Amino acid sequence: MAPKSSNSVSPTAASNALDSLWRSYVDTTPSRLKLIDAFLVFIMLSGAIQFVYCVLVTNFPFNAFLAGFSSSVGQFVLTASLRSQVNPQNREQFKEVSPERAFADFALGSIVLHFFVFNFLG
Amino acid sequence: MNLFGLIPSFLFVLLASSVGAADKASLTIQGAKLSVSSADGSLLNSQTLSPPETASPVTLGPTDVFKLAFTVVTSDSKTPVQPHQVFLRFYDPKTDEEGIHPIRVTSAGKAKLELNMAKPPLTLPPTTESPLEVTLLLGSYNYEPASFPLFSLTLPVSQPPPVHPDEASYHPLPSIFHTFRAEEKQPPQVISAVFTLLVLSPWFVLLVLWTQLPLSVPHLFSSEVLPFVVLLGAFEYLLVQYWVSLKLPQVLSYGAILGFLTAATGKRALSSLSKWRLGEKQ
Repeated sequence: MAPKSSNSVSPTAASNALDSLWRSYVDTTPSRLKLIDAFLVFIMLSGAIQFVYCVLVTNFPFNAFLAGFSSSVGQFVLTASLRSQVNPQNREQFKEVSPERAFADFALGSIVLHFFVFNFLG
Repeated sequence: MNLFGLIPSFLFVLLASSVGAADKASLTIQGAKLSVSSADGSLLNSQTLSPPETASPVTLGPTDVFKLAFTVVTSDSKTPVQPHQVFLRFYDPKTDEEGIHPIRVTSAGKAKLELNMAKPPLTLPPTTESPLEVTLLLGSYNYEPASFPLFSLTLPVSQPPPVHPDEASYHPLPSIFHTFRAEEKQPPQVISAVFTLLVLSPWFVLLVLWTQLPLSVPHLFSSEVLPFVVLLGAFEYLLVQYWVSLKLPQVLSYGAILGFLTAATGKRALSSLSKWRLGEKQ
């Protein structure tokens, strides 16, 4: 295959692939998982903006930045693990973990995380 | 210097021990003469001493020879006495340096002292241009101790006394000034406001995304689930209060109560949710 043709073809192919990926996501993902995904996007955006602020403007007060950024990271991890545990496609791997149990873990972990975050806020 | 520094304290013990016996006879000196001659033998200064009057000041050049002769006698019967201790004390009141020079006295009470300034004895203190006070100290077990100021003596300037290695520790240190790091400067208010809006903007994204989703929470207000949700909210409110006003022990005690209640209601809510979920499936 000539490099020229591959160069000219690949953008549309890539956009096609992304398009079909998005379609399949929208069509096949349960709405409860979409709810969690929206929350993950929210956390990611707010963490990224805080990081950009720290890099571009100032890290003062540093403890507030640490609390805000680490709450984003920690909440993202907790939510991502909740998502993987309640995902019906992962049923086989989490046989002994019911979705309710996963949510209880999520709630407990979030409360502990928030306790530390508020501790850091100072 | 150290060795001779001990002598005055020893003398002091002697003096103190003799205080008790008030009836002891006292000592004095008789026929005291001092002379200063130059290196070639010519006489520069000659005086007769009659304590307690002090003689006129004496000055010694770098090569002069100083001679002092006297006889120790009792003050009442003028009998010659050999005291146990006889010292010349050279004291500089300005620098507080002193030297104690022991004098040998014969059994007939006669004493002679010769100081050759070409070879000064080690007992002389370090000297400056200020004169030394010369005092004769007599000590004996059988007589009252005696101390006679004789004359003031100006010696050639010596090397300065060696500085004690710890001398520097005995001065006040310069006062300490604390320097603090400069206050962190706040970014301009415009930038702060812009980034506040930016950081809050994901909430808008979240709300938009959630309103797009077909969501239903049929059991939220049921008697099993609602207490759990309310208690979770109360927990978050407690943590906000921790940030705003509460102290750690209060938060821990309230948190323990809340945690117990939340765990109980959570178990009830989640088990009923699980029943509904399994019931729907069947």
